[in-house]
Amino acid sequence: MITLTINNKEISLEQPMTVLEASRQAGIKIPTLCYFEALKPYGGCRLCVVEVERMPRLQTACTLMVADGMVIQTESDTISEVRRGILEFLLINHPLDCPYCDKAGECELQDLVNKYGPAVGRHKEEKRKVPESHKDQILARNMERCVACTRCVRMCSDVQGASAISMMGRGNDTRMEPFSADSFNCEYCGNCLTVCPVGAILSRLYLHSFRPWQVDREVDTVCSYCGVGCSLTVQVRDDSIKRVIPKEGKGLNKGLLCSRGRFGYEYIGSDDRLTTPLVRKNGKLEPATWTEALEIVADKLQGIRKESGGVSIAGIASPRCSNEDNYLFQKFMRMTCGTNNIDSISRTGYGAAQKYFEDLLGQGITSNLIDGLKNSEAIVVLGGDPTSINPILGLSIREAARRGAQIAVIGNAKGLERFKTLQITAPVFEEAAVLESLLAQVFASKGERGEHAFLDRGIADMAAGTSTVSDVKGLDDLKKILLESPSTSIVFGTDLVQRSDGHRSLFAVSGLTYLLEARLYLLSEKANEQGVIDAGCVPDMLPGGRPLHIEDFKKKFEMLWKDSLPDFKGKTLMEIIEGARTGDIKALYIMGENPVFNLPDAKYVKEALDSLDFLVVQDIFLSETAELADVVLPALGWAERTGTVTNLERRIQVQKKAVETSAGMEDWRIISEISGKMGYKMEYKDSEDIMDELAQVSPLYRDLTYKEIDRGKSIWPYHGEPLRGAEISEIPAGEEVQSGNGADYYLAVDRPLFHSGTLSRRSPALTKIMPEPVLRISAASAEKLGLTDGDRVNVTTSAGSSETVVVVDDSITDNRVYMGNNFKDRGACRLLNFRLDSVTKAPGIEGCGVTIEKR
Amino acid sequence: MENFLLKNIDNPNSADIAEYEQAGGYKNLSKALGIKPKDVLDEVKASGLRGRGGAGFPTGMKWTFATADPKFPKYLMCNADEGEPGTFKDRPILEKNPHLLIEGMAISGYALGAEYGHIYLRGEYPEAGDILNSAINQANEKNYLGENILGKGIKFKLSVHMGAGAYICGEETALIESIEGKKGQPRNKPPFPVNVGAWGMPTIVNNVETLSNVPYIIEIGGENYAKIGSSECPGPKLFSVSGCVNKPGVYELPMGTTLQDIIYNHAGGMRNGKKLKAVIPGGISTPVLPADAIDCAMDFVAMPKAGSMLGSGAVIVMDEDVCMVKVTYRALKFFEHESCGKCVPCREGTDWLRKILERIENGKGTQGDIELLSDVAGIMSGKTFCPLGDGAAGVVMGMIKHFRSEFEEHIKEGKCTF
Ligand SMILES: Cc1cc2nc3c(=O)[nH]c(=O)nc-3n(C[C@H](O)[C@H](O)[C@H](O)COP(=O)(O)O)c2cc1C
Ligand code: SF4
Ligand code: SF4
Ligand code: SF4
Ligand code: FES
Repeated sequence: MITLTINNKEISLEQPMTVLEASRQAGIKIPTLCYFEALKPYGGCRLCVVEVERMPRLQTACTLMVADGMVIQTESDTISEVRRGILEFLLINHPLDCPYCDKAGECELQDLVNKYGPAVGRHKEEKRKVPESHKDQILARNMERCVACTRCVRMCSDVQGASAISMMGRGNDTRMEPFSADSFNCEYCGNCLTVCPVGAILSRLYLHSFRPWQVDREVDTVCSYCGVGCSLTVQVRDDSIKRVIPKEGKGLNKGLLCSRGRFGYEYIGSDDRLTTPLVRKNGKLEPATWTEALEIVADKLQGIRKESGGVSIAGIASPRCSNEDNYLFQKFMRMTCGTNNIDSISRTGYGAAQKYFEDLLGQGITSNLIDGLKNSEAIVVLGGDPTSINPILGLSIREAARRGAQIAVIGNAKGLERFKTLQITAPVFEEAAVLESLLAQVFASKGERGEHAFLDRGIADMAAGTSTVSDVKGLDDLKKILLESPSTSIVFGTDLVQRSDGHRSLFAVSGLTYLLEARLYLLSEKANEQGVIDAGCVPDMLPGGRPLHIEDFKKKFEMLWKDSLPDFKGKTLMEIIEGARTGDIKALYIMGENPVFNLPDAKYVKEALDSLDFLVVQDIFLSETAELADVVLPALGWAERTGTVTNLERRIQVQKKAVETSAGMEDWRIISEISGKMGYKMEYKDSEDIMDELAQVSPLYRDLTYKEIDRGKSIWPYHGEPLRGAEISEIPAGEEVQSGNGADYYLAVDRPLFHSGTLSRRSPALTKIMPEPVLRISAASAEKLGLTDGDRVNVTTSAGSSETVVVVDDSITDNRVYMGNNFKDRGACRLLNFRLDSVTKAPGIEGCGVTIEKR
Repeated sequence: MENFLLKNIDNPNSADIAEYEQAGGYKNLSKALGIKPKDVLDEVKASGLRGRGGAGFPTGMKWTFATADPKFPKYLMCNADEGEPGTFKDRPILEKNPHLLIEGMAISGYALGAEYGHIYLRGEYPEAGDILNSAINQANEKNYLGENILGKGIKFKLSVHMGAGAYICGEETALIESIEGKKGQPRNKPPFPVNVGAWGMPTIVNNVETLSNVPYIIEIGGENYAKIGSSECPGPKLFSVSGCVNKPGVYELPMGTTLQDIIYNHAGGMRNGKKLKAVIPGGISTPVLPADAIDCAMDFVAMPKAGSMLGSGAVIVMDEDVCMVKVTYRALKFFEHESCGKCVPCREGTDWLRKILERIENGKGTQGDIELLSDVAGIMSGKTFCPLGDGAAGVVMGMIKHFRSEFEEHIKEGKCTF
């Protein structure tokens, strides 16, 4: 216990802290400028000076640690004089162009001078002149206004870990500058923007377009992009989003954002938005009224159900839509259309892995808190780069690295290049073998864990049948790290699911998780991949993950939903597409998904959809898939409607409506209207109403309300009942398929930091940062091919060819070449063939051997 | 008194190991390795040696803190940044007597349990760099440095790190940042380098002259050493004398020799028989003394009482023809240029002071400028992050205190009066 006196108030503290922190705790305000809570103290501005008894000079509260018996004064004439003096100093070279500066009104310097500063300055000479730099497309730099607090630099290097900017120059010439000089060659998280106390770093997205006090509305909501689910605040004026900012200390992201969350909001106001329903007439999509469009859909679906039965109807749900939308969608499919053919794009990665892991290890096995990652002593990263798929989660890994954790990357992860302690190359199509070998080695040392007999047996059988892959460098080191680490986390990206033998990798990772008692994190590209599953948008499970084949569950839902559930085994995503091709599926309802662009082998998918009798697409843009539809229904997007999403930790949060628009209808409302017309009544006031029902029917969500969600309390396992223990008692056996075809280079789907699916291509800021697809390629491959940065090349596979630009990337250690799936007509998925994994039904990528030619 | 630090430097080959050995060099190393590290430390403590880098911190105490910290490895840094205007006392050691420093560092490393030493050398001393490097090579060959010193299983590896010209890198924590490859700026203290220094490990930073005194302490014993010069800060001291004297140069004299004695006896008195006006006794950051205040002992205890500081012992002598406004202006140009920019009072204050002084010197000063100078210096004083900014304020305050009339005349006449 430390006891000290601040301003004659006695204060007792359990823990050592700085005088500033102690004062704040006691409600005593000390002015600061260079201090920022999330950053290490700096002690540069000297505004926080205080008097400490028995210390000869004034002390800075932000750097001084408390000591027992300290007697401190935070206000006195001397202190006021010093603060006034320092503020006068800060202004001698400051342009004082407040009337023109975006920061005015929320500028810390302005506020400080207002409160503590002198009324007039005595400086007579010329001020330092530095022209504002607009060389970067996103961030403007005004170094005349910079107070050299270094908050931006400390943020960039110590928290974000990008180390892209620095204080250049010395003395009065000190200024912040990117190492890349003119424009920012960085991660564009914009977290420097958050911490800059003055108008020295500015966002060009809203430069000079509004004043902070001129916003009509501020709405605290959740990001629309990835499965992290960062809290952010949307500021609105005239029903358009003016900017997106994080709130200090709020949400799991604690005031941080990534490029997509911060700068990617503009798609909502895009001119390309669908505004009216479209109906195909004489082969062409024509605008139609809602009544007309909805009636066509209801009639058609009703007709096909009558004629060919529910088995011939299928639905594809969306991890971009809310839990309420998805819940209603599957209810509509099952009850109104009479089909269990319902799935989502989640099947191609997250969903497939999630189900496999939960089947083997129990529900909730992947529901771990992101914040906990930083406390791990060892982190294994595989199947993707967490810092680009789930950037804020990636920061926790970087933080763990700074704390001294071992970071082992299997495969490539560019964003961990400076943080990893070990990298293991897993050759294309041999990833599963490498993981099995690792599991076998860990098993050889650790033996059975004795918790689940079937798993111990399965691991033993696998180990007996595995010849260790001896020539993989670093595997022994990794084994050693894992055996020694008292707390291990495995961060699993879904690239490894997309193999026709993906289940082998999944088993190996399950085995490692089990033997090492590790925490398992599943990377999630889209905001509601977990929610779409928990809402019941999978063929074989009802909301809450209740297996449809268990009679008790089925009965319960039939009672709640007041009708009988369809009785047949539903099709998974790729089976639905195949069904469409063969004619088994006649009508397909797609909500918020773009299979033509997002699934492998676009030609095949397109042919399949073309063979349908009836295709409905509900979306906010006329996507490649919507172009093929018979009816297109415009939905509302993020920030235009309220609904909950479930992140990869299984935290439920509300995305709130912030702007009013007449562009479309909520997804759930469209569905309920159609359902009503088809004779199954769905009457809900709003999304909260739907959540109330979901909380009633889903055993997981017992007593869940919007109120409770808003309090930030809805974290797994909520108050509900998870399905305890493992779902199955036998390891699912799959076909062993050998897919390697000895190519020199293999194409892999990149998930770039600056884009996400196809939404981001409508966000001008993100397309400015990354205007076209690139091909990331290792230095060795580039040398062999005679390529350098910026070369334009043709990338050709057996499925097609695409033009792109080369980026040589030192972090790649193998013969993979990476290309994203984001840009119109230039996506990577189109160039891939696939074969289904017999266990997970995820499409395993094949035929990805590529040739690369300079144009 | 016989020279120890500057012994033999008139010999043209003094930097060569053979000459150094000839004159008895490296015997003290062998003597020190014959006793326990703790005993070496005790000798240094008993000697009363205080750091020669400027602050006069008791070396034995610093070493005790460092050895008390259980963390390993420990690093020994020799501060050879010598950037303070007027200071050139380490240079003769570096260029003419490098083996004395090397021997001193090897002994110190042994006492401290440090296996790695770095010499942080002023960027403007490239010749010294070459000389030190070849001396280190010689010492390595002869096993005075390396993995197994004199076959006793003691390891001490030494290297030279060239600075890039920043004065602030002479400040010990900025020096450490710089050695780590970062921008040279001071760190927050505590933690002190003796506990958390280079790469987070205990690090001892000592001045060239401090470390070069260590062999002497071993040679004559701490107790005998303590009898040289001033009782509270004993030992031989190097004074670099510059300015308006007949014999500018570096003098090795007992600590506590008076300023008067240094200027008039050792440095040959005033040049051209001019009248002495002022002395900056310890390098540009120490407050100026007027001519009538020079009968004071040059040591760490007496100088503060006389109104200044010993600093690095760099005596800058000015005669009646020197314009004190111009001196102040030149000093502030230096500080403004060298301010690292970390803290507001120094970064902005030195800039503002320089601007005001510039206008006074150029005849553009106005009524109230002297008060403004005092105010600005007052705001800086005691509030800067490191002593550099404090020093800058001190220079201005000292000059105004003793030579206010010169400032007033500049303003009244509207021109420089010299
Ligand atoms: C601005 C500034 C510059 C300094 N420059 C030097 C220098 O050039 N050489 C030096 O030995 N000490 C210099 N010092 C002092 C060092 O910080 C440190 O006190 C000294 O190296 C400790 O060695 P000592 O105990 O042997 O004196 C400087 C201090 C400050 C604040
Ligand atoms: S740009 Fe802003 S945050 Fe960065 S140092 Fe300057 S004032 Fe501080
Ligand atoms: S990490 Fe994910 S949720 Fe967070 S801001 Fe970025 S895209 Fe949005
Ligand atoms: S006083 Fe401040 S700005 Fe000046 S050198 Fe020291 S830390 Fe840097
Ligand atoms: S807030 Fe303490 S020095 Fe800036």
